[in-house]
Amino acid sequence: MSDWGMQKAALGERLAAGRQHARGKVVPIPDLPAFLKGVIRSGDRVCLEGDNQKQADMLASALANLDPRDVHDLHMVQSGVVLPSHLDIFEKGIARRLDFSYSGPQSARIARMLFGGKIELGAVHTYLELFARYFIDLTPNVALIAAVSADKDGNLYTGPNTEDTPTVVEATSYKNGLVVAQVTEIVDKVPRVDIPGDLVHFVVEAGRPFYVEPLFTRDPAAITETQILTAMLAIKGIYAPYGVRRLNHGIGFNTAAIELLLPTYGEKLGLKDKVCTHFALNPHPTMIPAIEAGWVEQIHCFGSEVGMEDYVAARSDVFFTGPDGSLRSNRAFCQTAGLYACDMFIGSTLQIDLEGHSSTVTTSRIAGFGGAPNMGSDPRGRRHPSEPWLKAGAEADPDTNAALRRGRKLVVQIGETFGDRNTPLFVERLDALDLAEELKLDLAPVMVYSDDVTHIVTEEGIANLLMCRSKDEREQAIRGVAGYTDIGRARDAKLIEQLRQRGVIQRPEDLGIDPLDADRNLLAARSIKDLMLASGGLYRPPSRFRNW
Amino acid sequence: MTAATCNDVSLSWYEASARQRIDALVDAGSFCEFIGPELREISPHLAIFDLPEQFDDGIVVGRGRLDGKAVLLAAQEGRFMGGAFGEVHGAKLTGLLRAARALSQDVLILFDTGGVRLQEANAGELAIAEIMRAVIEARRAGVNVVGLIGGRAGCYGGGSLIAGTCSKVIISEQGRLSVSGPEVIETNRGIEEFDSRDRALVWRTMGGKHRFLIGGADAFVDDEALAFRQSAIVALKISPGCDVAVLAAEQARLERRLQRFGEVEDAVEIWQTLGIDQPTEIPARPTGAFLRAANNRESADDAR
Repeated sequence: MSDWGMQKAALGERLAAGRQHARGKVVPIPDLPAFLKGVIRSGDRVCLEGDNQKQADMLASALANLDPRDVHDLHMVQSGVVLPSHLDIFEKGIARRLDFSYSGPQSARIARMLFGGKIELGAVHTYLELFARYFIDLTPNVALIAAVSADKDGNLYTGPNTEDTPTVVEATSYKNGLVVAQVTEIVDKVPRVDIPGDLVHFVVEAGRPFYVEPLFTRDPAAITETQILTAMLAIKGIYAPYGVRRLNHGIGFNTAAIELLLPTYGEKLGLKDKVCTHFALNPHPTMIPAIEAGWVEQIHCFGSEVGMEDYVAARSDVFFTGPDGSLRSNRAFCQTAGLYACDMFIGSTLQIDLEGHSSTVTTSRIAGFGGAPNMGSDPRGRRHPSEPWLKAGAEADPDTNAALRRGRKLVVQIGETFGDRNTPLFVERLDALDLAEELKLDLAPVMVYSDDVTHIVTEEGIANLLMCRSKDEREQAIRGVAGYTDIGRARDAKLIEQLRQRGVIQRPEDLGIDPLDADRNLLAARSIKDLMLASGGLYRPPSRFRNW
Repeated sequence: MTAATCNDVSLSWYEASARQRIDALVDAGSFCEFIGPELREISPHLAIFDLPEQFDDGIVVGRGRLDGKAVLLAAQEGRFMGGAFGEVHGAKLTGLLRAARALSQDVLILFDTGGVRLQEANAGELAIAEIMRAVIEARRAGVNVVGLIGGRAGCYGGGSLIAGTCSKVIISEQGRLSVSGPEVIETNRGIEEFDSRDRALVWRTMGGKHRFLIGGADAFVDDEALAFRQSAIVALKISPGCDVAVLAAEQARLERRLQRFGEVEDAVEIWQTLGIDQPTEIPARPTGAFLRAANNRESADDAR
């Protein structure tokens, strides 16, 4: 090959085309369509920044408004397909191929478009996988990103919602790709430099903040007594005996209940300083009472949460903050932390089958994975020991020489036997399998694989799958906590009694828990207002969560 | 007079069930239920729709003592069908109000309702009319009928009409009082008119603080059963009466209110017009500070 330096030359051409529409690095909004047409080439791999929280929404609309005769056949590589405009890009024929991670609110439309052939799917990833592929075989030619402010040199301040930005910029800019940022405002001096200006080629002043979804706010008023019971079981039956100090929580109401029980029920059990001291976790508002009661030493965040900015800034002893005082989040680092430095993941799911595979897919929706499969999996590359990891490993494999035995990450699925609208949590066959057949996917979208899950918690009790010695035992352990679902009613009562004797299944009474004690009075906060008050007024909930 | 004993443990009115509210409201152990669940007076309509019934049809009625005084009580259970009025539910309240008139005993209605039950709409609408008539007849006979609002379902639809006929209305911040619910307005008039998911908007339009400020409620209390109890004791000490002069005064007040605020777009503008200092801060104010700020509120001019 004689023509070395072709990528640099191509970048040079893009820069030249872009500069025709820019003053320095700044592209005025009216010139944005012509600018994008100039810097994006048909067939480009494009990363449009957006995940389950922040969105480069203005650049997304601008891209969707291009003429497909000018720009077409793009290959979109992005964390989130969340905004309607993300799919308009495909509907209009501007993009053709898609590799992504999370689709949340667009899950039904994305499935329809895949079925209708409007989207050519590469793969559905976890965040960490997609980030990894940015550096191997899915490196973007163009990245369209979002920040809070920029200076004229392109130095960016990404604020509390830094999230994916450093990863996207690193992969794009250092591999001859072009980086364009939308910012709320252009300032003389940014509060802190999150992204150095020499990695950023152009900025657009949007005049308004990028969109952020308050995905991690759970209203304590909606927590049910059954959820409180599952939370009590988890705390007393798993957190306490394993001594889980380093962990990640999912976003459901069950884990919100756990967070709100720490300063009350957890305190009563004497667990303070013994569990829940270090988290890989977004700043959940429901963590406020536990933080205020001194339970938590440290939290690293994937992203921020709307309304929590001032609280986080005032609690820099717990959270990671920059010299400007505000939160520094980083999704790639936090996912890695959740994978390798946490001893437990606990989260809710929608369906669990008889082997213990679980999935949040329901028919005709592709919601993607986000980060849960990374959190909810046993990292085979882990080498550092910890008490919960060693104990779980010993339960799974008591006969191996301890010095040669792998530990196990605790992966806990928690939920009520009948979920939203009385849909059973336990099923014979996952809907994910039907979806995979319908869309001819190689893999069914399974959130947590059976061989990773260690415990299942429902209001009926805890099933410890680590201690099951056969496929049969495992199936009965799952049936044994499946309550009055069809799966639960088809149990072998005798075998389940044996499992209970061995402690594989633990009922509330086995743990000394009276279900009648599961009362909303146990919650350290029973409303969003209580959370605001507990924060000393620092938490400012968004309008849609305020019932005052 | 020495205060009669009551259950003085802290209890959130918003969180409590109908029976918990009654227990916390009246003098300890004084409540005696009429037509209790053991009699299984269930709705004759719900089975047709394959819907579950409840043995008390979602309302508890009976007698008890409040600070020593004999009173009649009705409490709606907002967690059963949103506390909605059906045939039996309505008949129990009508009967209680007629008894109040016959016995000359005051009545406390603990509202927690979305309005009339759609599955038995005709019977429910008739019940609302009968109840309103019974309230007025009781009041004409000198009986106080006090409404207490602070439950999860709020006080909507027919429930709000009944509340409008009460001699006094006590409300908490969590309480909501309005004829049409947020979803109904959004469905009929569009999200631009009213975004039902914007809870701050819902509360500043229908919530307890706003209703108190515009004279839709007479007393504002903390979300505590004890606070409701104390306010109810006070409310029963005043007998506003109910004659033509009172109704005419109320009509004049409502006309004046419409003139004064008819054009405003948002509750905050009303608060500003009322001359409230820092009106945007009203939702965040704790009870004491709120009551001080509420000095200029629209009062009901004793019209109730």
